[in-house]
Amino acid sequence: MTAIGQSDRRFAPKHRGSGMERSLKIWGIIFLSPWIIGFFAFTFLPMVASLLFSFTDFNLLRPNDVQFIGWANYNRLFSDPQVAAASGATLRYALVALPVAIFAPIGMAALLNSHNLVLRRVYTTLFYMPYMVPVVSAVFIWQGFLNPQSGWLNQFLASIGITGPDWINSVDWIYPALVLISLWATGNAMLPTLAGMQGVPTELYEAAKVDGANAWVRFRRITFPMISPVIFYNLILTVIGLFRYFDIPYILGRGQGNPGGATNLYNVYIYRNAFTYQDMGYASTLAWVLFVVAMIVTLILFVSARFWVYYGGERN
Amino acid sequence: MSRTMHRLLVLGTIFVLLLGALSGFAQNEPVTITWFIGLGTGSQPDQLEAQQAVVDAFNASQSDIVLETVVVYNTGAGTAPADALLTMIASGEAPDIVGPVGIDGSNAFDGQFLDLQPLIDETGYDLSDFDPAAVEFYRVEGQGLIGLPFGVYPSFIYFNRDLFDEAGLAYPPQEWGAPYVDAEGNERPWDIDTLTELAMLLTVDANGNDATSPDFDPTQIEQWGWYQQWTDWRGQATFFGAGSVVGPDNTAVIPEHWREFTHWYYDGIWNKHFIPNASEAASDLLNAGNLTPSNRLAMNLVHLWYNSSAGTDVNWDIAALPSYNGTITSKLHVDTFRILNTTEHPEEAFTVLTYLIGEGAEPLLQVYGSMPARASLQDAFFAQLDETYTQGVNWQVAIDAQAYPDVPSHESNMPNFVQAKDRIAAFTTLYQGTEGLDIDAELETLRTDLEAIFAGTYVAPEEEASS
Amino acid sequence: MAATAIPAKTTVVQHTSPVLSQYVRKFLVKASFTLFASILLLVFLSPFGYMVATGLKNQQQISNGFLLPMSPIEYEYNGARYPLYNVPDNETGAIHQWALVTRGREESTFIDPANPEAGEIVWQGRWRTLDPVIRFDPQWGNFIEVWQGLNFPRVFLNTLVVAVFGMIGTLVSSIAVAYGFARFPIPGKNILFMILISTIVLPTFVTLVPTYTFFARIGWTGTWLPLIVPHFFANAYNVFLLRQFFMKIPREQDEAAMVDGATPLQILVRVIVPQALPVIIAVSINHFVFAWNDYFNPLIYLLGSPELWPISVAVQQYNYAFGTKPYLVQATSLLALALPVVIFFFAQKAYMRGVVITGVDK
Repeated sequence: MTAIGQSDRRFAPKHRGSGMERSLKIWGIIFLSPWIIGFFAFTFLPMVASLLFSFTDFNLLRPNDVQFIGWANYNRLFSDPQVAAASGATLRYALVALPVAIFAPIGMAALLNSHNLVLRRVYTTLFYMPYMVPVVSAVFIWQGFLNPQSGWLNQFLASIGITGPDWINSVDWIYPALVLISLWATGNAMLPTLAGMQGVPTELYEAAKVDGANAWVRFRRITFPMISPVIFYNLILTVIGLFRYFDIPYILGRGQGNPGGATNLYNVYIYRNAFTYQDMGYASTLAWVLFVVAMIVTLILFVSARFWVYYGGERN
Repeated sequence: MSRTMHRLLVLGTIFVLLLGALSGFAQNEPVTITWFIGLGTGSQPDQLEAQQAVVDAFNASQSDIVLETVVVYNTGAGTAPADALLTMIASGEAPDIVGPVGIDGSNAFDGQFLDLQPLIDETGYDLSDFDPAAVEFYRVEGQGLIGLPFGVYPSFIYFNRDLFDEAGLAYPPQEWGAPYVDAEGNERPWDIDTLTELAMLLTVDANGNDATSPDFDPTQIEQWGWYQQWTDWRGQATFFGAGSVVGPDNTAVIPEHWREFTHWYYDGIWNKHFIPNASEAASDLLNAGNLTPSNRLAMNLVHLWYNSSAGTDVNWDIAALPSYNGTITSKLHVDTFRILNTTEHPEEAFTVLTYLIGEGAEPLLQVYGSMPARASLQDAFFAQLDETYTQGVNWQVAIDAQAYPDVPSHESNMPNFVQAKDRIAAFTTLYQGTEGLDIDAELETLRTDLEAIFAGTYVAPEEEASS
Repeated sequence: MAATAIPAKTTVVQHTSPVLSQYVRKFLVKASFTLFASILLLVFLSPFGYMVATGLKNQQQISNGFLLPMSPIEYEYNGARYPLYNVPDNETGAIHQWALVTRGREESTFIDPANPEAGEIVWQGRWRTLDPVIRFDPQWGNFIEVWQGLNFPRVFLNTLVVAVFGMIGTLVSSIAVAYGFARFPIPGKNILFMILISTIVLPTFVTLVPTYTFFARIGWTGTWLPLIVPHFFANAYNVFLLRQFFMKIPREQDEAAMVDGATPLQILVRVIVPQALPVIIAVSINHFVFAWNDYFNPLIYLLGSPELWPISVAVQQYNYAFGTKPYLVQATSLLALALPVVIFFFAQKAYMRGVVITGVDK
């Protein structure tokens, strides 16, 4: 039985002459053109420039004194213990944050997709709302909310007899605190996931129910494959986002990596080199090494997509 | 070359020369001078209004220069103004003037400022309204005179009269060097010990017990006695006397009195509890880091620029600082305007600068809360302040504080300044936020790290979290 | 089945009760599920509660130690206002509501509002142990202060312009580009797609200086152009998401339309877009919210042009180093939040309807 969506190639037009193929290619390029133009206009040159910076000692205060120093920055990077520390911190954070960032949106979308929920629009809006709070505000809110003395969280914990930790200043609890804060942005990933779930034909569920499948099996066999493109999207963006995670750890750690270097994530270290130490050359080096690593990971994930991501309109 | 060609060439050259000369005459084009605000104060709404008024007045008074401002809000939480300025400089779009800016904000841009001496000599600018020592303060070896006096902010104690009244304690002395006279009329030297005792009596828990009482509950403190707000370790330690961490040959040293201070302050936070720790200071109870308006802090050591932040809701007054081992030190902040040496129009920038510190100075100093460096403006300045702070503040304390400046300044430059300052900031957060530290060990780590930073060989150790 | 015959009567009787209990069951399931969702929501939104509470406070209320905006009830006496406390009488122990006039460590003086002629009452005890008499006092005026202080209408309009134009630009271009990636056999498509993804990977600070220099040189600083124009050339996040959804749509529909003689553009408009409406709306919302809250880009490019600032930059004036007013920051953010929330709520209607049109959710 072919799953719904896979086109039956037996009925594909047989006469795809080179003319048709070529015209399709041209159409394709036409549709891609806005991005291609924009890429060359706005993105390509700055990217190349930053790559060039990595081979120089570009200092922001002395933009005219730039000297070419070859691979010196790269050598420095590989022997810089702060790079190891920052990478370690990023990895440790990712271990905690990644599962949450993947599964929370799915859970939330499943909750909002359920027919058992009344006033769905209201709930969806309310669950999405925290994502719309601007970062400046959100940091203030969370700093206040997590304050060990007057913050609501610890006061609530105290009311049930638990002494809450000093979330932001404790090396053990800063990552959970960051994860809590990141939960507020779940709405963003939830929305396309919900869109995906709502695109699943109900007849599939009904057929499965008739066959006696319970909710969990229905989820595993129907929902998950049908929304796998969105999950893949979330996965890629979450991984990339983790490599780029910056503003909240920077502000909470007061730009110094508090507590104990835990918020000195890789991207925070790049920022500090760029603007605090004004060493744009080294910062660019750090960024490009990150870029290479991130691209490798992304590529691996894309290759893995063949095995678990199901696109209805394509053959895998 | 043929005769015609030759003639054409000559004509062409004359033509080009004429054009050049004409464009020289066409300098009726007004020059735009950009004034960057945000490295120091200047981004609060009332300040924006006043600054714009000064800009408009300047532009209206002449037609050769158009003054424009660029404001980046100094939120204190990040480094947006410095970053923005860096970005502007790095991309060749640097402003001409920056300010108001203090020593600290300028250190990050060390070497970027224009030597004003040639311009002063050229224009014959009159410096007699300034204290000569104040002018010399801006002369830096190898760079020249890179600023002119504009405003000064001495430091002293902002104390809460209501809290002293409630405790039945006499106010701290308002004459520098005078003894502390208590409610019964007994005199005691106004020193650190007396201060500590006062602060502990003014630290009270929810049951009304103060910190000297055996029933005192440090988990329910509702009021604290002492704080030194919005400064780092160098600034705080200067309370016990001026000093520097830079030793001979760029080694790093921990001055002995600064070590004493660190022990005293640490003890004050974690053992005696009369100083709030970092979380307490950041909590809503203490007004999220700006303590005086919370009405729960008895004494706060800050500078004159704190007036607008202290606000008008709390009954505060100012008092003299106690002495440590016989020496009184009132750390000093100064504000000035500086011209970036990338400016394309130094003369015009200088004209603007002298306007800002001259005709435009009074309204600006008013909104910055900065005491005028010009002797002629000081009386009017304080009269204006009294109109806002109607509780009756004894401003003489501020005027007299100038006799006890910290030399060397707690903001003085250090090799690899930004990195060194960063490391010190980390230390400041550490002792204000973490209990149970071995202060001497931490100071030693600080010292060795600073030495490596000075030498340019600093390499951060693995933090405990990764081991 | 069992050999025992079941009497016909009982089968008839059993018809009505299962239907009733089915209704009851459905209701119970819905109710308990909704309750569960509500609890989850409350927990999720608790920091938001802090935001609202803070946004409705003033300076004193922030440090008086109550969760919600509470103010002491005051009594005017001799030209000044004094807060009321619940004071146990020194002799009788009865609780009075008196105004605290003078505070003292071990004894304080009060005035009885019911009996002011009696003069000041000296009370032995520690005033800090007393319960203040308080009332709920939300500072709705914060919103007015913010509205006027930030010139909210203009700032709001600025934000709207940047967000809406950017949204239109990104929609048009990202849909087109995603369509290209999803449906066409472009040479080197996979490489191009990886290049697209790569543009999100590089941290922005290192490209900031060259990008800023570029915009400065072409004179776009001090205008909204750097914030809007680049979005007309597609945005990698949106292209990626749209491409994922487009690839899910069965090709047969494309091919059917092609057989009918439709051009690729018509296929896009008539076949793809209607089916992808939910995700297109998701993309629009996403961009709108992003542009609404973007802080760093407007800050850098609109230096020196406060009349062009969006809300995210203007609100900084309440967040300055020497006198933070967190209650005004939160009030501004609440105001700023209002429009996106309303838009989101109504956008869902189109969203749901979009699902019905595709005929998928029957």
